[in-house]
Amino acid sequence: MKKIRERIGGIVLTILSLALTVGVKTVFSACGPKDDGSWMNCHWAEQAVFGIGIALTVISVLVLIFGKSRTGAGASLAAVPAAAIAAFTPAGLINLCMMTNMHCHSVTRPAVIVLSVLIAVTAAVNAAVIFRKTGRGQDK
Amino acid sequence: MKLTESLSFRNVTGHGARSLILVILTALMAASVVCGTLVVSSLRTGLEALEARLGADIMVVPASAVSKHNFENIVLQGSKGYFYMDRSYYDKVAAREGIEKISPQLFLASASSGCCSVPLQIIGYDPETDFTVSPWIKKSAGGELKDLDVVVGNDLSVFVGNTITFYGVTCNVAAKLDKTGTDLDTAVYTNMNTIRELIRSSVELGMNEFGKIDPDNSVSCILIKVADGYSVDEVLNDLNLHVRRTKSFKTKDMISGVSDSLIGVSDLIGVLIAAVWVLGLVILFLAFYMSVNGRKKEFAVLRTAGASRKKLSGIVMTEALMITLTGAVSGIMIGLLIILPFNGLIEESLGLPFLLPSLPTAFICAAFALAVSVGAGMISAAFSAYRISRIDTGLILRGDN
Repeated sequence: MKKIRERIGGIVLTILSLALTVGVKTVFSACGPKDDGSWMNCHWAEQAVFGIGIALTVISVLVLIFGKSRTGAGASLAAVPAAAIAAFTPAGLINLCMMTNMHCHSVTRPAVIVLSVLIAVTAAVNAAVIFRKTGRGQDK
Repeated sequence: MKLTESLSFRNVTGHGARSLILVILTALMAASVVCGTLVVSSLRTGLEALEARLGADIMVVPASAVSKHNFENIVLQGSKGYFYMDRSYYDKVAAREGIEKISPQLFLASASSGCCSVPLQIIGYDPETDFTVSPWIKKSAGGELKDLDVVVGNDLSVFVGNTITFYGVTCNVAAKLDKTGTDLDTAVYTNMNTIRELIRSSVELGMNEFGKIDPDNSVSCILIKVADGYSVDEVLNDLNLHVRRTKSFKTKDMISGVSDSLIGVSDLIGVLIAAVWVLGLVILFLAFYMSVNGRKKEFAVLRTAGASRKKLSGIVMTEALMITLTGAVSGIMIGLLIILPFNGLIEESLGLPFLLPSLPTAFICAAFALAVSVGAGMISAAFSAYRISRIDTGLILRGDN
C-alpha cells in the first residue's frame, strides 16, 4: 500500500498519458477523410497529439519507475511543457476543420485540452511534492 | 491552531475511505446541479437567440418541401438541404395584402469533396429586400455585398478578408454573423447572383442534378413580415388559401416544436437532478448519523475531558463542512470541465439550439451549486450534531447506550 502511495503520481500520469495517446486515435479521434479520400487539417493535429502522447507515456513510465527520487521529479517536470504543447496543438498550433460544429472541434479539441491540462497539473504537483519531500541538495 | 491540527481535520483524514465516499457523493450532487442548470440555461439562451434571429412572421415554402424529413431544421436552423419553387410564386405572394416586408431565399448544400472548402448550407438572399440576415452581421468589410462575396456564420473558422471555395468558385468573406447556437452558425449567405453561379457550377461539375429547375427563376423560401393593422393569422390564412402549391407557416408555431423539445429536455434534467439529490441526501444523512453514532464513546470522553456541548456539535459540523466543501468544489470543477469545453458535443447530441450563457451567469450557476450542496450537507449533519450534543456521558461510558 505504501509503495502505491509513493508512486501514485506516476500511476495517475501514466493512466492520463495512455488515455491521451490511445483516445486521440479512438474515442476522440479527429474527423475522417473527405469523400475523395483526402484528409482535412485536423487529421494532422491528431497525428501530432498522438506523437506527443507517446512521448508523454514514456516520460510517465519513467516517473513511475523512479518514484519519489529527484530523477522522478525531473521526469515529472519534463511532462509539463510536453503536455502544454499537446494542449496547444489543436488549440492554435495546427488549425482544425473550418466548421466549429465538426467532430474535431466538438470532441477532439476539448478532450485533448482537458487531458493535457490534467497531465500538466498532475506532473507539476507530483514534482513539487517530490522536491518538498527530498529537500534541497540531497537525493533520495 | 492550524486547520490541519484540528480534531475535525484529523477525524476526516483518519477515516479516509468514509470521507472519500462522502466527498464523491457531494461532488456528484454539486456536479448534477451545475451541469443541469448550465444545460437548461444554455438551451433557453439558444431558443431566445433563435427567436430573435428569425425575424420573419411567416415563411412560405413549396408544398412538396414539407414532406422532407428535416424540413423544419432546414428553414429554421440552417441544416443542409434544399427545395425549390418557381419565382412566379414570389410575385403571387408579394401581391397579397398585409405584407410589410418580403424577401426570397435560395438554398444550396455544398459537398464534402475537394471542390468545396467545407460541406454546409449556402443560402442566397436578396440584400435589397432582406430583413433577417443583415441585422445579425457582427463584422463586415463595409460596403455592399458584391457578386462572389459571402457572409459567413459565426462557427466558421474563416475571417473577413479570407476566401472560401464552393464547387470550384472562390468567394470572398465579406462579413461574419453573430452566434445563434444553431446550424445557422455554420451557414454561408450570399446574394442571388452568386448562389445561381454556384448552382450552375455544381451542375457543370456533375455534383448536383436539378432536372427542370431553372436556378435563375427559382426560390426556396419566402420570408414575410406582416404589416401593421393585419394579424399574422389573417395573412397566413390568406396565403394558404390563395397561393396554391405552397405552404405558409407561422415561424412562432415552428419554433414551438423546438420549444416543446426544450421543455422535455429540461424536465428530464430536472428529474435526474431530483433523483441524484434524494439519493444523495438520504445517504449523507445516514452516513453522518452512523458515523457519529459509532463514535459516541469518543464524544463522551471529550465531554468528560471538559469539551462543551457546543464544542461537540461544532466538531461534527466542521467535519461536515470540510467534506461537503471539498466535494462541492470538486464537483463544480468537474461539471464545468464537462459543460464548457464539450458544449459543441452537447449541442450536437441534443439537436437543439444551445448557446452557453455569459460568464457571470455561469459563475452564478456555480455559486448556486456550491451553496445548495454545502447547505444540504450541513443540514444532513445538523441532526447528528444536535444528538451528540445531548448525549448522556455516564450512560455511554458505562456501555448502556
